[in-house]
Amino acid sequence: MRKSFLDFGRVNAEKLLHHRLNILIFILSILTLFLIGRLYFLQVISFDHFDTLSETNRIKYIQTAPRRGIIYDRNNIVLADNSSLYSIEINIKESDNIEKIINAIKEQINISKEEIENFYKKKSKYSHHNSIVLKSNLTDSEIAKVLSIRYKFDGLDVTASLMRKYPYKEITSHVIGNVGYIDKVDLSKIDKKKYKSIKYVGKTGIEKSYEDTLFGSPGYKHVEINARGRQIRNIDEKPSVPGKDIHLTIDVELQKYMYSKLLGYSGSSIAMNPNNGEILGMVSMPSINPNDILWGSYDSSKEIEKLDSPMFNRSINGLYSPGSTIKPLVALNAIHEKVVNLETEIYAGPFFQLPNSSRRFRDWKPEGHGVVNLQKSIVQSCDVYFYMLADNLGIKKLGSFFKTFSFGEKTGIDMPFESKGVLPSEEWKLKNIGYKWTDGDTVITGIGQGYFLTTPLQLVYAASILANEGSIVIPKLNKNLDIKKSKKIIDREKFLKNEIKKEWWNAINEAMFKVVNQENGTAFWTTKNKRNNISGKTGTVQVYSLPQETDEREKENLPKHLKDHSLYIGFAPKDNPQVVVATIVENVGSGSKFAAPFSNEIIDYYLNKIRGRN
Amino acid sequence: MNSEKFFGITDNTLFICIAFLSFFGLVLLYSATNQNIDVVFRQGSRLIFCFVLMFLISLVDINKIKSISPYVYLLCILMLIITLLWGHDVKGAKRWIVFFGFSFQVSEILKIIVPMTLAWYLSLSEDKEIDLKKLIISFSIIFAPILFVIKQPDLGTSMIILLCGVITIFLGGITKKHIIYLLTLFSFAIPIMWKFILLPYQKQRIMTLFDPNLDPLGSGYHIIQSKIAVGSGGFFGKGFLNGTQSQLEFLPERGTDFIFAVFAEEFGFIGALILFLIYLMIILRCLHITYKAKNYFSKIFAGSISSILILLVITNIAMAVGLLPVVGVTLPLISLGGSSLLSIFIAFGIMFSINRRI
Repeated sequence: MRKSFLDFGRVNAEKLLHHRLNILIFILSILTLFLIGRLYFLQVISFDHFDTLSETNRIKYIQTAPRRGIIYDRNNIVLADNSSLYSIEINIKESDNIEKIINAIKEQINISKEEIENFYKKKSKYSHHNSIVLKSNLTDSEIAKVLSIRYKFDGLDVTASLMRKYPYKEITSHVIGNVGYIDKVDLSKIDKKKYKSIKYVGKTGIEKSYEDTLFGSPGYKHVEINARGRQIRNIDEKPSVPGKDIHLTIDVELQKYMYSKLLGYSGSSIAMNPNNGEILGMVSMPSINPNDILWGSYDSSKEIEKLDSPMFNRSINGLYSPGSTIKPLVALNAIHEKVVNLETEIYAGPFFQLPNSSRRFRDWKPEGHGVVNLQKSIVQSCDVYFYMLADNLGIKKLGSFFKTFSFGEKTGIDMPFESKGVLPSEEWKLKNIGYKWTDGDTVITGIGQGYFLTTPLQLVYAASILANEGSIVIPKLNKNLDIKKSKKIIDREKFLKNEIKKEWWNAINEAMFKVVNQENGTAFWTTKNKRNNISGKTGTVQVYSLPQETDEREKENLPKHLKDHSLYIGFAPKDNPQVVVATIVENVGSGSKFAAPFSNEIIDYYLNKIRGRN
Repeated sequence: MNSEKFFGITDNTLFICIAFLSFFGLVLLYSATNQNIDVVFRQGSRLIFCFVLMFLISLVDINKIKSISPYVYLLCILMLIITLLWGHDVKGAKRWIVFFGFSFQVSEILKIIVPMTLAWYLSLSEDKEIDLKKLIISFSIIFAPILFVIKQPDLGTSMIILLCGVITIFLGGITKKHIIYLLTLFSFAIPIMWKFILLPYQKQRIMTLFDPNLDPLGSGYHIIQSKIAVGSGGFFGKGFLNGTQSQLEFLPERGTDFIFAVFAEEFGFIGALILFLIYLMIILRCLHITYKAKNYFSKIFAGSISSILILLVITNIAMAVGLLPVVGVTLPLISLGGSSLLSIFIAFGIMFSINRRI
């Protein structure tokens, strides 16, 4: 009984389904017939109408490029601008014989072999563009000559476009960065629809990090074209919206001065306002004129990674041992961990030795410093004292203290591709070097040597925390950027303000003041006029280690690339710091001879000449 | 007809029509993309993958397919969540996820999976009429994935998925009383949707349908240009690769949404009639399978697929001739795009599997 009832239900359901399907198909068939009727109406009845429309369909919508935002320094001086650029373009898809066109142009104006080669190179490299530039930067007479033969060839055109100009050339090149041809890598990252009419995009520096702001939004033009696709006249248009201008924190006068100081050397120097993180000047040497590389076949994404390239930005990508500039931090850590107090004195001989080891960790001063306390060991940069401190602290405590100063991580500046540096630890060494961490590794970390690597930006960041006695500011280049500190940074700030006593900060800063202002300080001679109350710390980083017994004078005879790096961090005025500077000069010698005088002159220049004017 | 079987292909007419249309789609794509052979090759390799998948599915027993359908449904929901969380952003909408280098649009496949899941659910208690509880569960099956698709945001596809689901419920025997209730509810819902749910650009698309000249630069442009393409094709068409609308790039989205306009411009009214005829043959074979199908699940599913197929064709063509707003529905078997192709081939795979049991 039950089974037949079930069957009965099933049969009913199937019947209903067939019935419903018939209804549905019926409705859909009527819709289809209606659609066929519509097609008949469009294609047969209204054919003449649409045929005429299609024939006269000469209205094309063309995207118009927005004006790129201008980049200014803090005093409204233009650092990156646009200028009109006329170029010969050949549309590959519209022209039948490219060679013929080029030959015809050659008869009219001068075109170098290089330009032709470049054209073919670009043609294969940027095959996604329809139009490829043959020659840029045309003069008025060249424009006239090319226009006179334009009518003979499809696909040949003279176009006006905005070109980027960098008036300060090499001086601002790493900060501003540059724009360049959109390549296949960029193509995957940008909104292709927005860039239809634009051939370039920010590649490095501010031009890259603020690409979206500077870009604006494109407009559209409604133009009449002939059957071959050539534009005849404009019908209407929706203007593009220009990109927003950007005001940097850079002061170009200071930037120029810093550039002049480092000219001829390799290295970097950064000046920052410790009260708000505004970068006042930032140079990396050697440098390159960005106007020259703009439209070449230069691949900036590769160049900025090459250590020997002038496009390599040492300020944020150069990795250096911090050397003795790290000593103030080691000292703070040691007091906080109660390894020593401000009064603890030890006898610092010519070297330090670990128990059960014959290796001698030597001081830079062959005869040693004698009896020193913490402050004195900073003023004279006594290595043995800091070997002892590092050994007592151990790498774990040192590492976690350094981390509160953002070593081993990005500072968060508004620039692309910032490096993290290396904050070594036991795990780091095992993973990256393959060996176990040794006590000797810890000892040399105490004087900023070994595996510990920092960028100049990280040094200026750390120096600003010293100057601020624990307050942290995030470095920035865009004057209108509001940075909200992350919870991590706020927690670190709390630690530095609550756990590190004010008298300790004062003691360390007093020692750094004496480095510059006390007769036996390592940077005493670097500034004659002591009006600005500069505090600082020198650092000398060994690139090549000489046998310890070598005479100091022999260092002068080393080949250039093996000479020491010269480092310095400094800030002023002592009681209310307005500027922090970190400088690294590669392969020249000790910190007190190059980086320190350069930095102190930069600080003096800023406080005497720039600050008053602002 | 079933004398020689290749895999589970038990209906040669259906198979030949599918193969012909999808191959013809590649040829048309060549014209639609301005003779870009790279795109054609890419679509061709997707097509091969889809054919292999269809063969494999056709070998699976239909009862097995029925029993796994709820799991497939849950998997789809999971993938929708992944899409929302880690999806690929294209023009502000997150519709794509990337698997092993292939990007994939989950919402496309829902047009098949939602009806399949409903067919499974409704066939669990096939002898009982649909009561309110069953109706609510059925609509929940439809709306659960749709909520994610709306969030992407992709209202056009959401509406299509809803329609596909409603077709299945209609076939599954919803009572007349409930139909009347739902129609009433729907007529109240429309003004509310207009006011609170539709985004400005979606409203604009609908408004420009009635008067394309409202926005000739924006959404009206598609409709104007597409109508010119179709109309200027005339009775015999301009000939392959000779469509000026498409070749001169007046026509937007030529490979996907507006591929029919390219077709109608180059092959004319007569070509369109032939295209309709081939689709008709496919649908007749599908209906044949539906009427012959031995179990209730097969019947609901096959019936739904037959109707949905017509629906998709009609919607896409109606878009191209300016009768429907541009909702982003592809032309089955012909349009460029992997996800829509995949879903349609999965459907045919299941149809062949059903046909083996007849």
